[in-house]
Amino acid sequence: MRRDVVEIETLRERASATPDPQGPRPRVGGPTPSRSVIGDDAGEDASLRSRQLRFTRGLMTPESSPGTLDEGSAARWLTPGPRLTALERFEIYRRGYHARLIECLSDDYPASRHALGEAPFDDLCRAYIARFPSTGPNLNPFGRHMADFLREQVPEPFPARAFAADIASLEWAIVEVIHAASEPPLSLESLEGVQADGWGAVRLEPTPALRLLRFGHPVNEYFRAFRHDESPAIPAPAPSAAVVYRSGPTVWRMDLNEPMMAVLSALVAGEPLGEALARAEGLLSHLEAAETATRVTTWFREWVGHGVFARARW
Amino acid sequence: MTNRFGLPDLGVGLGLRSVHYPHILAERPSVDWFEVLSENYMQTAGRPLYFLDAIAERYPVVLHGVSLSIGSTDPLDMAYLAELRALRDRTRARWVSDHLCWTGVAGKNTHDLLPLPYTEEGLRHVTARVRAVQDVLGAPLALENPSTYVEHAGASMREWEFLARLAEQADCAILLDVNNVFVSAYNHGFEPATYLAAIPFDRVVQFHVAGHTHHGTHIIDSHIGPVTDAVWRLLGEAYRRSGGASVLMEWDAEIPDFATTHAEALRAKEFIQVPSPSRS
Repeated sequence: MRRDVVEIETLRERASATPDPQGPRPRVGGPTPSRSVIGDDAGEDASLRSRQLRFTRGLMTPESSPGTLDEGSAARWLTPGPRLTALERFEIYRRGYHARLIECLSDDYPASRHALGEAPFDDLCRAYIARFPSTGPNLNPFGRHMADFLREQVPEPFPARAFAADIASLEWAIVEVIHAASEPPLSLESLEGVQADGWGAVRLEPTPALRLLRFGHPVNEYFRAFRHDESPAIPAPAPSAAVVYRSGPTVWRMDLNEPMMAVLSALVAGEPLGEALARAEGLLSHLEAAETATRVTTWFREWVGHGVFARARW
Repeated sequence: MTNRFGLPDLGVGLGLRSVHYPHILAERPSVDWFEVLSENYMQTAGRPLYFLDAIAERYPVVLHGVSLSIGSTDPLDMAYLAELRALRDRTRARWVSDHLCWTGVAGKNTHDLLPLPYTEEGLRHVTARVRAVQDVLGAPLALENPSTYVEHAGASMREWEFLARLAEQADCAILLDVNNVFVSAYNHGFEPATYLAAIPFDRVVQFHVAGHTHHGTHIIDSHIGPVTDAVWRLLGEAYRRSGGASVLMEWDAEIPDFATTHAEALRAKEFIQVPSPSRS
């Protein structure tokens, strides 16, 4: 049973106070190249609240929006600088807003970005940002809607939408596992008290830092190839399953065939070991019962050894 | 002069960055202290805390946040403050800091440090909120002067006056970011010396230095790359006026290996007159 570690030492800081380093180019002449809504259905209200509402409304306007801004309306509420107009100075913040959130999503979904291509991924992010603006103090959960967004809200034909939703599901599971609490793993030694005829009644609790996933594509293999800089192509559809979990600081991914998925799903759901084994027997009916038991025992011992479970009850 | 809050001079510190975790834990380098980005260790129960606990056990830390949004007209986020206080207690952080800015309104967060209008209304509003935050923390809050790229029309004072009056009225501390003074001075056309002249240095508990990105028409506070000589000299001048305070270098993107980053931070010692105290 192969498992791969997720190299996440380079997971970037989420809360860096660093705006977009790309600044506006000086205007040589002609119309303002981009516009944003900063104005003025709030009328002449110069209160702090109104200023803030006005500023954020303009800031969060999609960069593709035509808007209604001109230099005049910007200059009513903001000041020009020594070298830039009020509008140009405001645009630094507007570009920074979108760039920062795109960077956040890129950090959470690097394989998705590779699969879709940079420009389509950035466009996807802009649509996501418009649909799900951040409403909390922390960017950690910001990207949580991406897989559902791809499945349900991104219109066809979006290139490789179904695969993109699958790979996004895997990548978000990694994020969730990173931030989930973990507990000391259950050890095989701690199960030595189970009587020989009592194994069927053993129930196991998974570590909170675990996610079981089903896909319509061989997503885990794609992710592994991506992490190894193999520039994989988007694979053809084929059912697959994987478990993502964290043991200490290390995040692991492990492919699961259908019998493994059936057994592990049952155990994670709290079914006793005997019932989980019965599920495997149904899926491995082409094998002798003894071989099925051997396989399941091997899986069980490896899962325990890898720290998938936190405790057992019997 | 020491700060009026009795907060320690921790020496020359480094921003804690995840790319350096393996080196810090394996090699245990001699670092005076680390500044920790608060939000990276909030709303998580997992891996980030694993590393933070290990590092805070060995090194003094200070919490530095970006989402307090002290200037917003939305209500203070009391859940956030409770979590921040808990994180402070967990790490035994020597103090907590954030920025003189707002990050959002009407329930939205832009996750950027947005400029405040420097008006009497704004001053009253922020003063009340700083007092409330300090009540929750049970300790002084240090507010950092931000880099800004636009100013609000109709302001009745400049940023340095706003910051100085706020610090006095709210009885809070100041984290003086001399790179931000330099950046804002260029962007808005004032002299850094004018800014420094207005600062009550007995309230300065910490300095920031960082790299920036110069675009000709303006400078962006990118925290990329080494600190420029002009910013180092500004640190020297500010440090002399303060009589000594903790110094922290920020490097947030295109981060080199630990040794290179730390060496850059230690350049501060060339510009500050009082030797860095040994790590406690």
